Amino acid sequence: MKNRAIASLATVIVIAFALASAAPRLTAQGVTYDQLLHADQTPQDWLMYGGNYSSQRFSRLALINRENVHLLKPAWIYQPAHLGEAPVEASAVVTGGIMYITEPPSTVTALDARLGTKIWSWTPKLPEKLYTIGVHRSNRGVAVYGNTVYVGTLDAHLVALDAATGQVRWNTHVDDNGKGYAMTAAPRVINGKVIVGISGGDVDIRGYIDAYDAKTGKRLWRSFTIPAPGEPGSETWGKDMTGIGGGGTWGTGSYDPELSLLYWGTGNPAPDYNGSLRPGDNLYTNCVLALDADTGKMKWYFQFTPHDTHDWDSIQVPVLFDATVGGKPRKLLAVANRNGFYYVLDRTNGQFVAGTPFVTETWAKGLDKNGRPILNADTEPTPKGTLNFPDGHGGTNWNSPSYSPLTKMFYVSSREISAYTVSGKDRVDFPGFGGGGRITLGGDDAYGAVRALDAVTGKRIWEYKLLAPTEVSTLSTAGGLVFSASDEGNFFALDASTGKLLWDFKVGGSETGANFVTYELRGKQYVIAASGNAFVAFSLP
Amino acid sequence: MPRGGRLIRIEQFLRLAALLAAYGAFISFSLLAPGAAAQAPPATPPAKLSPPDLEAGKALFQQNCVNCHGLDATGEEGPSLHGIPAALGDTAVANIIRRGIPGTGMPSSYTITEQDAANIVGWLRSLDSAPAAAVVGDPKKGEAVYASSGCSACHMIDGVGGNIGPDLSRIGAQRGPVNLKARLTDPASNLPKPVGGFVSGGGVTEYLMFRAVEKDGHATEGMRVAEDSFSIVLKDAQGKLHGFRKPDLAKLEKEPGKSFMPSFKDTLSATQMDDLIAYLSTLRAAQ
Repeated sequence: MKNRAIASLATVIVIAFALASAAPRLTAQGVTYDQLLHADQTPQDWLMYGGNYSSQRFSRLALINRENVHLLKPAWIYQPAHLGEAPVEASAVVTGGIMYITEPPSTVTALDARLGTKIWSWTPKLPEKLYTIGVHRSNRGVAVYGNTVYVGTLDAHLVALDAATGQVRWNTHVDDNGKGYAMTAAPRVINGKVIVGISGGDVDIRGYIDAYDAKTGKRLWRSFTIPAPGEPGSETWGKDMTGIGGGGTWGTGSYDPELSLLYWGTGNPAPDYNGSLRPGDNLYTNCVLALDADTGKMKWYFQFTPHDTHDWDSIQVPVLFDATVGGKPRKLLAVANRNGFYYVLDRTNGQFVAGTPFVTETWAKGLDKNGRPILNADTEPTPKGTLNFPDGHGGTNWNSPSYSPLTKMFYVSSREISAYTVSGKDRVDFPGFGGGGRITLGGDDAYGAVRALDAVTGKRIWEYKLLAPTEVSTLSTAGGLVFSASDEGNFFALDASTGKLLWDFKVGGSETGANFVTYELRGKQYVIAASGNAFVAFSLP
Repeated sequence: MPRGGRLIRIEQFLRLAALLAAYGAFISFSLLAPGAAAQAPPATPPAKLSPPDLEAGKALFQQNCVNCHGLDATGEEGPSLHGIPAALGDTAVANIIRRGIPGTGMPSSYTITEQDAANIVGWLRSLDSAPAAAVVGDPKKGEAVYASSGCSACHMIDGVGGNIGPDLSRIGAQRGPVNLKARLTDPASNLPKPVGGFVSGGGVTEYLMFRAVEKDGHATEGMRVAEDSFSIVLKDAQGKLHGFRKPDLAKLEKEPGKSFMPSFKDTLSATQMDDLIAYLSTLRAAQ
């Protein structure tokens, strides 16, 4: 009798579990490399930064679409327990009903993705004195692989956490924060390796991209973004490299598994605004680098802004797509750059395919046949200042754009704004010395926009204007939608083909900077906006 | 106990924290922790400093501070510093420049001498008002001019008066006499462009007039008090607020060159104008 009661109770429990099939659960093996390779085929999850290895930020989900998006309502709001100095900036990863986010400064949190309920949080003990010149004290997300969550911390540690509990599996000290190294970007996980970049390029660090063993945290390779004296490329820096450097890698890169190449953007040289001590192109700053995923060896590079003196970091995530150009199928890589130009490259060899301004720019006449800028006269910073479009935060910043394979359009948050850039002394022994500065001309004339570009040519197809210059992401879906946000905290959906406004919601928050993601649970599609100090999930009623 | 002792520092830190919170963040709550003051470097005895050299201060600022605070100290990654010396006191700001603020992005620097810090503070202070010009009028008489000219119908001083135009409780600290005169004689051409503001990059014109026309043709004219990409709130001449969703409007036009404030160019004598400016210059309420 008693045994039967237990047996039937067990049956009830089993049935209950079966019914709650979409409840948070972790399979024994967790997220596999095969799943990551085919992330497009499981749009119910959002498996990684950028949505897939091509960083297209396009979802095949269409439950929310042009016809019903006007019914979208908040499903839940998650607010971190402790407010940081910076807003939330994380791109969420969603798998098995669990959402992994980060909170400023370096906290990792697992949420029930349907309910918004916190499952666990992990917060590192950061040193009292953190050195974060030019670095937001926030974090842009995690990578999930197997049953492990990977995060880079502000004090430059790479940490592996148990995905079920948040317990530390390993903790690798990547570099010395006291010298300006910090980590804010989401790691990229490929077959057994965790690839990370480093922040701190506004001081004289020597930037690099690292690969670590996903199981042990042991470093497998390091690829520097600035050559050592005597190495190829060092001739582009002048004679003495003391006190200069930069080339931070504070964004997340993309990956082509067929070519086995990683594509990673590099930041500005330092000092930012006075380039007199670093005559030359300053390789490999303001580049996209193609690295052999096994060895880290550079296969090719493309430099967007040689000898940058405007703080136009090129760490925007490279977006990979294939298209026919001039009758030939091409493997392409697109970057909407902080310097105001949209670039299309051949990702097999780095060859320049197309490039055109996507915002007002006044520093270059255009690009030559190799994609190198043809400079206008008198655009270098001077002690009195020179006025140029775009400003230092650029035509677009780190926030990721989106490419839709349905519309073949590239959707990018754009900034129309100018600044005086002023050069100061060439060297001062002070942490955070920038060699000058800038006065941004905001005011009533500056504005922002979501722009849809022909992905192959960069030609503008439509734009949706916004009040202020924006630093936000875009997300496109098979529902014919583009989600984006304003700098003033409006989250909205546009028709992906025409740019027509279909829905908007005031989420508040002074900065809507995080990369928006979407996923599906129990037959409902969710869209996540992150703004100010909150993550807001939207779904249909 | 020398000035700069522990008790004073705690008070300074608390004031700083409150102020920066009011300025819109960048400060960690660790500052408010009881132990925070204990970590400050030892106090130094008051040094004999020369009067601040503003040019030197500006140069030092441009070498050391602009990456975070912006070339004109209106803020980049770090907060705007306009009004900070007036609110905290010169010594506190000089100490922060040299010692940093633990737990935030503000570094310490022992390469900056006390004189350097004083020079920087002096330059920061000079940003708070237009270039100094002699105040020639009689503030007492100016107060009477203020009362008889109807200013208080729209402006508030220390909690008394209307709430249509800007609060003038601190106007003497914020604007110099030349600036005040320009605003009194031609208000529409001299609308304030504040630091920060609700649009990134700052400098968005305050009190700018707009005309909003709804789809049924109904028009409303008023000053912008708030705006985002999808909405705008206008305040009309009676101080009444009107909020609109932009997609619901047929037309939304800026009206530069207009202001609810009348010009006092022809209604006040030169002496009355000087007296009024002298009175306004005395308004320096604490923040």
